[in-house]
Amino acid sequence: MIIARTLMARRGFRSLRTKLAVLYTALFAVALALMGGVGQVMIWTHARGSVQAELAASGTVYDGLWALRAKTLTDTADVLARDFGFRAAVAGGDVPTIGSALTTLRRRAGVDHAVLVDLDGGVIGASGPLARTLSALPRQLRAGRHDAVVNIGGATFRAVVSPIMAPTEIGWVVFAMPLDTAEMRSLERLSAIPLIATILRRDAAGHWVSGNGSVTPDPAVDDLVAGSTTDRPLTTLSLRDGRAFAIAKPLPGPGGRTQAALLIRYPLRAALAPYIPLQISLGLAALIGIALVVLGSIRLAKGIARPIALLDAAARSLEEGSRTEVAVAGDDEIGRLAHSFNRMSAGIVERENRISHLAFHDSLTGLPNRTYFRQALDQAMTRAGRAGEQVAVLCLDLDGFKGVNDTLGHPAGDSLLRHVGTILLDLAPDGMVSRLGGDEYAIILDGGFDPDRPRALAQAIIDRGATPMATDGHQIATGFSIGIAIGPDDGADPDQLLKNADLALYRAKRDGRGVFRFFEASLDAAARKRRQLELDLREAIQTGQFRLNFQPVFDLKADRIGGFEALLRWHHPTRGEVGPAEFIPVAEETGMIVAIGDWVMQEACRHAVAWPDHVRVAVNVSPLQFRNTGFQAVILQALARSGLAPNRLEIEITESVFLDGEDHVLALLHGLRNIGVRVALDDFGTGYSSLSYLRSFPFDKIKIDRSFVTSVAEDKSAAAIVRAIVDLAGALNMETTAEGVEDSDQLARLRGQGCGNIQGYFFSRPVESAGVDKLLQTVFSQAA
Amino acid sequence: MMFALALALCLPTMVQAATVTIDVRGPDGQPLTDAVVVVDVPGAGRATPRGPYVMEQKAIAFQPHVLVVPVGASVTLPNRDTVRHHVYSFSKAKKFDLKLYGKEDQRSIVFDKPGVVALGCNIHDTMSGFIFVTTSPFADKTDARGRVQLADVPAGTATISVWSPSIRATGNMLSQSVAIGAAGFATTIAIRR
Repeated sequence: MIIARTLMARRGFRSLRTKLAVLYTALFAVALALMGGVGQVMIWTHARGSVQAELAASGTVYDGLWALRAKTLTDTADVLARDFGFRAAVAGGDVPTIGSALTTLRRRAGVDHAVLVDLDGGVIGASGPLARTLSALPRQLRAGRHDAVVNIGGATFRAVVSPIMAPTEIGWVVFAMPLDTAEMRSLERLSAIPLIATILRRDAAGHWVSGNGSVTPDPAVDDLVAGSTTDRPLTTLSLRDGRAFAIAKPLPGPGGRTQAALLIRYPLRAALAPYIPLQISLGLAALIGIALVVLGSIRLAKGIARPIALLDAAARSLEEGSRTEVAVAGDDEIGRLAHSFNRMSAGIVERENRISHLAFHDSLTGLPNRTYFRQALDQAMTRAGRAGEQVAVLCLDLDGFKGVNDTLGHPAGDSLLRHVGTILLDLAPDGMVSRLGGDEYAIILDGGFDPDRPRALAQAIIDRGATPMATDGHQIATGFSIGIAIGPDDGADPDQLLKNADLALYRAKRDGRGVFRFFEASLDAAARKRRQLELDLREAIQTGQFRLNFQPVFDLKADRIGGFEALLRWHHPTRGEVGPAEFIPVAEETGMIVAIGDWVMQEACRHAVAWPDHVRVAVNVSPLQFRNTGFQAVILQALARSGLAPNRLEIEITESVFLDGEDHVLALLHGLRNIGVRVALDDFGTGYSSLSYLRSFPFDKIKIDRSFVTSVAEDKSAAAIVRAIVDLAGALNMETTAEGVEDSDQLARLRGQGCGNIQGYFFSRPVESAGVDKLLQTVFSQAA
Repeated sequence: MMFALALALCLPTMVQAATVTIDVRGPDGQPLTDAVVVVDVPGAGRATPRGPYVMEQKAIAFQPHVLVVPVGASVTLPNRDTVRHHVYSFSKAKKFDLKLYGKEDQRSIVFDKPGVVALGCNIHDTMSGFIFVTTSPFADKTDARGRVQLADVPAGTATISVWSPSIRATGNMLSQSVAIGAAGFATTIAIRR
């Protein structure tokens, strides 16, 4: 089993079916091999047992025959040896008589050689080597023995000796029978099984060998003969004619030394022959069994592996992203697994759809999101590029959406955004409407649209936006600003096209909202310039390129300079002086205004503390700074660090700060007021100029916008407005400052209308901080 | 084949006679009965038969088993049994064949040549007897103690021979020359196998 497992691991079967089939087959084959081995051993043991019994029986039979033959021969010889006449002939040395008697004896006994040996060793009836050997034999035999096996020349003889008594020994009758092939065959015929009997003799080296060459020198044979003197062990020998079971019978020689041995063997082939049908049957049964197991395990493995293979394939296709179902019948583990898999697959596909929908759609409006838009634009441009068509991108922005969110709350804002989505879908059925984020939308027009279609669509949207939209119980008046870019002329790639549409949108917003603008090349240049300005501005903050100028505010009632307005100046190393109108909007858009504003606050306070106590410093604050929660801390820090009295600091805000939400702004203003800081409302008269702000917060001062001041001398209506503002301020206990006073007429008119303070070139341009002291002295006399 | 001789020294006198005592031991070391000891003394003359010499067939056996007689002796072979016997000899010294004779049937044989005559009965294979025919006047067979005592043996050089069926030698006999002193001669002869 381990073998099978490692085998599989090494080969690394990829198929479960093969794995199972091979495992089972291997296990069964091992079991069969074990059974076969045991069977073989049993057959061997049994064969050996029966052959041993047979050989032992044959040996015993042969022993009996051997003894019987000796007895017969001895008896036959005795008959002659005791014959009186023969004895007389022997005693008398009557050779012819003896010879004839021996001839008779040979015939009678059926023995080849019968001789007489006298007491002097003389032999009658034989000559040559046989005579010599037989002559000595009677005296060599040990007492009580009558026969011996001797080698004479190349042959082995069995000799039986019978003494002639008259009454003392006067000679011996000796029979000599060759133990030759014929003798062996007759011996073999005595056995029930086909034994082979062979006479072994020692060769020159002392090994036991047969005369016919069938047994060659072999230690196993020598051991067998040596071990067979007392009992008769069975051995398996490997002989020239094959393996055989064998027993040996040493044949005693005349003296102590054995000259010959009888080897009885039974070829293994013959011994195992009866078992061949059994072995064939076993083999066939094993083959059939293996075949059945192979078929069975393949079938079983198929039953298990096929649904698993289906699941495997399904899992793979699921992995590749396609929805798959596995059709598996049955309620077993695999069936349940398949059902679970199907449920899981369905769940995965559903979640995937939801995720991809989320990834590509805006959850609020359900419109395609920026990612989707970007891809769609990509595809549209590729397609249009091939077809030689145009692609238009309309970027839309909802005017004043932030105000909606702040004043009506986010639910109302969200509702508005959804409503806008439906409106756009309604108006642009031929385009792809998407929401890029916030209140930004975009529409792609492609596929060979009418050249006027972008303009017509933009106009339709703007017209629709002009009427208030009813949503969530509110009538919301808003509007659209739209930028349009048409590729490939306005941008060869999607990024460029979208950027240019954005620039056009920016332009539209700058141009007063509620309008649409096509992209023009100049927009792009302006945008690049602005980008450079942004970079320069960052560098200016880091390297301290800013400084403050101060413009005096003249107190008409006290006839002296009542304060200075701190004005930011930027001296760029290469650009030279950059006007605030140029860089402040950029600073506000990028948020850098906060850091710049902090610096201005610190710097203004630092300078102002050196001035006379009645001279205030006025600092302009951007709505962005105001929105920053740490603004009050910034002011407190500036005051604390400089040691300036709070009532000498006046911050100037515009109405636009209220756009971020009135409550928050009012809370902050009151907070500043509480620490003693003065608050002025700047640029009054432009923008909304909502009187409600004046009511909601007691400003210390109202600054009248220079647009009224400029024409106050010649324009009655302007003068009337100034007059009204001054009166209004007076009624509310607020001071007034007129900005942009450039000549004496204006001054005279303003003074006449009761304006408290003036500021402008007529009095003084903004000066460097170093010029403030001088101005405080010189201007003082001039004004007087 | 050898003798172990213990010689008794005595004065050599031609006229003096001595007694020769021979003890014979078998291969097992025991006294050997019915062994024949012969002393041949040159010029001592021949033995003369004194008779009677009898070799009985009694109880299916020869009695005595061994009989020593001088050359020319006549030996009677009486049958004392009720059965018949057929006594024969194939020995060279005397071949004869006394066919089937009954009780009290007297047969006499004259042994005129020296030598050992082996007697057998053709009817009874177990019967075996020996008649030792000798020329020497100094011959006798050992008694139950294995001893032979011969008196009046002239001193001088002599040949002592011992015969027994159990001696494995030509003629079942061993011989050795010895000098016999006047005071007598005694020795023990051990037969080796």
